[in-house]
Amino acid sequence: MNEEALLARASEERERIFQRYERGRENLVGQIDPWEDPEFEEYHKTDRYGFIHDERLPQKTGSQKVNIEVEREKKWVKMLGNWDTSATKEKLHRRIYKGIPNSLRIKVWCKLMDVNKVKSANPGKFQEMLKLAKLWSTDVRQIDSDVNRQFREHQFYRERYSEKQCSLFNVLCAYSMYNSEVGYCQGMSGLAGVLLMYMDEEDAFWALAVLLSDKKYAMHGLYIEGFPKLTRFLEHHDKILTKFMPKLKHHFDKFGLDAILYSLKWFFVCFVERVPFSLCLRVWDIYLLDGERVVTAMAYNILKLHKKAIMKLNDMDLIVNYIQVKLHKDFGFEDDFVIYQLERSMDELKRAKLDYPGQPPPTELPKRQLGIFVEPDKKQKIGQRAENFSETEKQARATVILRERGISYNDTVLTGTGATVNSIQGNLLKREKAEMELHELRVSQSDTVSEHSGVAAGMRCDDSVSALGSRRSLADTSVTSTADLSVFSSGRSHAPDNSLDTHSNVSDDATGSDGSGICGLSIQRAPSTTHSTPRATPHPPSVSPLSDDIVRIHVTYNPLAASPSHLTPINPSKYKGYNDEHHKPVSLGFYPSNGAMNLPSDNRIRIQVPSEELLTPVVDSGRIITQRFIDHRSEMYDLK
Amino acid sequence: MTYTQTIDSFCEMKRLARSLASMFVRGRAMATSRTGAAQRPNGAPQTKVCQFKLVLLGESAVGKSSLVLRFVKGQFHEYQESTIGAAFLTQTVCLDDTTVKFEIWDTAGQERYHSLAPMYYRGAQAAIVVYDITNQDTFGRAKNWVKELQRQASPSIVIALAGNKSDLAAKRMVEFEEAQAYADENGLLFMETSAKTAMNVNDIFLAIANKLPKSEGVGGGPAAGARRLGDAEQQRSSSCCK
Repeated sequence: MNEEALLARASEERERIFQRYERGRENLVGQIDPWEDPEFEEYHKTDRYGFIHDERLPQKTGSQKVNIEVEREKKWVKMLGNWDTSATKEKLHRRIYKGIPNSLRIKVWCKLMDVNKVKSANPGKFQEMLKLAKLWSTDVRQIDSDVNRQFREHQFYRERYSEKQCSLFNVLCAYSMYNSEVGYCQGMSGLAGVLLMYMDEEDAFWALAVLLSDKKYAMHGLYIEGFPKLTRFLEHHDKILTKFMPKLKHHFDKFGLDAILYSLKWFFVCFVERVPFSLCLRVWDIYLLDGERVVTAMAYNILKLHKKAIMKLNDMDLIVNYIQVKLHKDFGFEDDFVIYQLERSMDELKRAKLDYPGQPPPTELPKRQLGIFVEPDKKQKIGQRAENFSETEKQARATVILRERGISYNDTVLTGTGATVNSIQGNLLKREKAEMELHELRVSQSDTVSEHSGVAAGMRCDDSVSALGSRRSLADTSVTSTADLSVFSSGRSHAPDNSLDTHSNVSDDATGSDGSGICGLSIQRAPSTTHSTPRATPHPPSVSPLSDDIVRIHVTYNPLAASPSHLTPINPSKYKGYNDEHHKPVSLGFYPSNGAMNLPSDNRIRIQVPSEELLTPVVDSGRIITQRFIDHRSEMYDLK
Repeated sequence: MTYTQTIDSFCEMKRLARSLASMFVRGRAMATSRTGAAQRPNGAPQTKVCQFKLVLLGESAVGKSSLVLRFVKGQFHEYQESTIGAAFLTQTVCLDDTTVKFEIWDTAGQERYHSLAPMYYRGAQAAIVVYDITNQDTFGRAKNWVKELQRQASPSIVIALAGNKSDLAAKRMVEFEEAQAYADENGLLFMETSAKTAMNVNDIFLAIANKLPKSEGVGGGPAAGARRLGDAEQQRSSSCCK
C-alpha cells in the first residue's frame, strides 16, 4: 500500500471509530458485536461505587457506619459553604483523612484540584480539542481498544458505547490533542475512568489536565516517552525499602523481583485496580490534598502492612499475585486502619527525610505549551512505529537494563572492568555455575553492544561507574540505622564468583558513610574460599546443620585504613522508630543487640553462623570484604 | 430408545465419567510429583525439571494476556484489563520425561512501553509473538518483533508466532498460508490460536516446551539471563535436568 492509501485508511479508521462514539449506544442497535457487550446483571451485585460483582454482596455497611457518614455529610456541606476560610483549612486535613463522604466527593475533588478555575480560564478549549482530535488524533485506535476494556465491571462502563464509555473516549481523545507530548498512554484510561465516575466530561478532562501538569501531582513525567518519573520514584521506593524493610527488600531481590513489576500501577494510576476501590478512593482523597508524597508513602505502607505475609511466599509469581491480585480483591485491613497507618508511614518517612523524592526536574514537566495544536507527522498518522528508538527511549532502555542488573547482575556490572575481569573469568570457568554467570556476562555485553539498543560497547565502564554511584548513594541514605548491607549482599548473593574483588564497594561504602556503625561484612560459599585472601582464617567446611557454627576472624586494627568509628555500635534508640521486625538487620553488621556493644579491644570478633552454608568470611583492615551467599532460609547472623 | 439401550448408555456414561475422573486424579498426582521433584531433588524424582523464561510480545489488544490467562488459569475474560508495564505468571507442563516450568512475562503492547521490553526479553529462552488474525497491522508489527528478537535476544531463543483470535475467522484479514510461509522462512513455530475457545493454546506452549533444549550446555545454557533463583534447590532445578 502506498503512503497515500495508508493515510486515507488511517483517517477513515479514525472517523469510523469516532462516529460510533458520537452516535452512542441507542443509535447503534444491532451494530454492536455481541462480544463487545455483556448482558447486564442484577443490581444486587452492584456495590455502592457502581462495580458489579460475581456474587451477591455481603451486607457490609452497618447502620452505624451509615449514620456516621450522614453526620459527616452535614459537616462537609457546611464546610463546602465556607471553603476559603481559615476554619476550613484547619479542619480539612483531619476530615479528608477520615474520608470524604461519597456523595460529596465530586464537589470536594473539584475544589481540591481547582477544576473550575482551570476550566473557566479555558472556555471552549475542551470542545476545540475534541474537534481537533476527530481530525488528527493518532491515538484513537489505542484509546478505543482501552475504553473497550476499562472498568467493564462497572455499571457506567458495562455497556459498549454507553454514555460514560463515550465520555471516556472523548476525554482521552481530547487530552491526546491537548498535551501532544503525552498524547495517550495506557494507564490514563484508569485515571480518567475514575474521574468520570464522579464528574462530567469536561470537568474530568480538566481534572486529568491538572493531575498531569500541576506540580503537586506532575503525572506528566509518568506518561511521557521513557517514563522518567517512574524511574525516579522507583529508585526512591527502593531507598525506602532498603532503609526500612531490608529484609523484605532482600526477599524480593532473592527472587529477582524488581519493584517495577509489582508497583507500576501504584505509581501510574495511584493504586486503581491494585487495592479495593473503596480504599483507592480514600487514598485518592488524600492524594488530591497532599500530592505525590502520598503515593510514595502508600507504596511503603502497603508493603509494611503485608510484610509478614509476603515474606512467607517463596516464589516470584506468588508474591506478584499477592500484591497485584489478592490485595485488589481483599486488602485484609479495614480502610480506616490502612489510612491511619498511611498517616503514620508519612510521618515516619518525613522524619527520615524520605517522604518526598524531590521536585520534578524540567524533563518531567511539559515542554510544549498545552492546548496548542501540533500536526502529527506522516508516520504517526499512518500509525507506523518508529524504526529506531529515540534518544530518550535509548536512555530509558539503558536505565531499565541497568536497573535490572542492579539486582541480578550487580556484581557483574560492578566488577566488570579492567584486569579483574580476566581473573574473575579465570575462576569462573572452574565451576559449572560460573559458566552460567559468564554466559550472562556475554549476553549482557552482546545486548549492550548491539546497534539497535543504542548503548555502545564502550559504555560498560560507564555502566559500572553509574551503578556503583547509585549504590553508593543508596548506602549514603541508609547510613544511620540499619547497619545493614543487604542491598549489596543481595545483589552479590547471585554472583558468588567475584570474590576476588577486594575493592568491593561494600567496604568502601562502609567507610565512606558517616561512620555510624555500618560495617560491610559478608561470607562466601565454600568454593570461593579457594581463592580467598591470605588473611582469612581457614575454617573446615560442612558442619552439621543443627549445630551452630562459630567462626573466628582476626581483625587487623589499622587506624589509617579504617577509622574505628565505623565499628562504633549504633545507639539502640535509633531502632525504636518502627516496628519490632525492623530491629534485626538481615545481614552481618555491628549492631548492639548483644556483645557487639563492647568492641573487642583485641580486634577479635566472634561470628555465630547458624547455617551449614556459610563459610569463612574474609576480613581485611577491620572490614570484612568477601561476600556472603544468602541463599538459604536463615538470614540472621549475630555478631558476638 | 429401549430400556436396555438406556441402561447401556447410562453405563457407558458412568464408565466415561470414571475414566475421566481417573485421568484427573492422575493429572493431579503428576502435578504433585512435579512439585516434589522440584523441591526435593534427592527424593527420587521421576522426571527432570527445567525452567524457562518465556516472553509474550505483540501489538496492543491482540490477546497476549488472554493467551497467558487461558494457559495458566484456563480462564478467559472478554475484557482483560490492559497490561501496564508487564505481568508475570508461571505454569508447568509435563512432557514425556521432562517437566518444564515456564516463567511467563506478559508485556504491554503500546509502543511507548516498548522501551521497557528488553528488561523482559533479555535472557528469555522462548518468545511468543502474537498478532490478531483480524488485523493486518498487528501481523506487520509481529514481524518487527521477530526481527528485534533475532537481533537482540539470546541467539538460541525459540520463537513462536501465534495468530490469535482464530474464533473470529469471519473477520480474518491475515491468511493462514501467508503467516505459515513467513514462519517457515524464519524458522518460527506457528499456530493460529484462540484464547477464547482455548484452541491451540496449550499446544503452542507444548510445542515450545518440546523445542527447547533440555540438556545442559545446549543453546547457551538454560537460565542464561533468566531470573536467578534464590533458593539453592531451585537453582539446581533452574540449571535444568537432574
